[in-house]
Amino acid sequence: MRTLLIVSHPDIIESYSQQYFLNGIKDFSNITVHHLENLYPDWNIDVRKEQELLREHDRIIFQFPFYWYSSPPLLKHWQDVVLEEGVTHGPRGGILEGKEFGLVLMIGVSEKEYRAGGNEQFTISELTKPFQAMAGKTGMHYLPPFEIYQFVYTEDDRKMDILIPYWQMLTMENNDSLATRENWLMDLLEDVINTSEGTDEQNILEYAKNIIEENQSEIEDLKIVLNQMYHR
Amino acid sequence: MEQNAWIHEQLQHLFTNTDDYNRRTLIKAAQDLIREQEKRIYQMEGEIEGTIWSPKRWGE
Repeated sequence: MRTLLIVSHPDIIESYSQQYFLNGIKDFSNITVHHLENLYPDWNIDVRKEQELLREHDRIIFQFPFYWYSSPPLLKHWQDVVLEEGVTHGPRGGILEGKEFGLVLMIGVSEKEYRAGGNEQFTISELTKPFQAMAGKTGMHYLPPFEIYQFVYTEDDRKMDILIPYWQMLTMENNDSLATRENWLMDLLEDVINTSEGTDEQNILEYAKNIIEENQSEIEDLKIVLNQMYHR
Repeated sequence: MEQNAWIHEQLQHLFTNTDDYNRRTLIKAAQDLIREQEKRIYQMEGEIEGTIWSPKRWGE
């Protein structure tokens, strides 16, 4: 699966959270990072090139700071010019049909404010309806959004706990089951094992991968036993 | 389980001695996942035990 990460941020160098997450994915070869403000400072978007990129990827992600309940303006402009009837969507389908679409939102307000009675009054699911509608109209499957609240206040030892599901949002099959996460992690470990030949790291990670595999099959066996107990 | 205790120790050692942040995150992901698997196994074994000893089964 190839993921196109379309990032929109007017001042990305100064954004601690954007830098953190973009650095966090630099080892993934199956993610294309596409920062719009950097590529099109004059807003002159190469529509054909953008459509070609969409065609080449299976999962399309918009990543942006949630400004006034929406995206920065260049991302809206990108939608206005790139999503073209007859190409990306239309009565006979388009190049986005069957792909997956998701949002990664950096949010400056605390999560508890996004609910009825909270300071923001509405949930993120309510406020992101236009993106859900866009995914629906273009035939894409809308993924649960990845919301990062007040990252700048997150303690260092908690940051990795956010980076791991971020990796999953970008590269894992859309299914949060234990089996899916096991297979996803074993693939990642395999890649590292292959590049760190002959080191202690390789031995330990290989051993860890074997343990994960053994545990996985033990869980499968226990499932069978339980199933038989309940259905005999 | 003894085998798992050993791997936890080894992964923690690797985590502490790895400089690359993303590699350390991957090691942490492996630690977390193995812990989750252990918990799942423990819960399922408990469920099997509980079902075997259930009074509903005493009449069988």
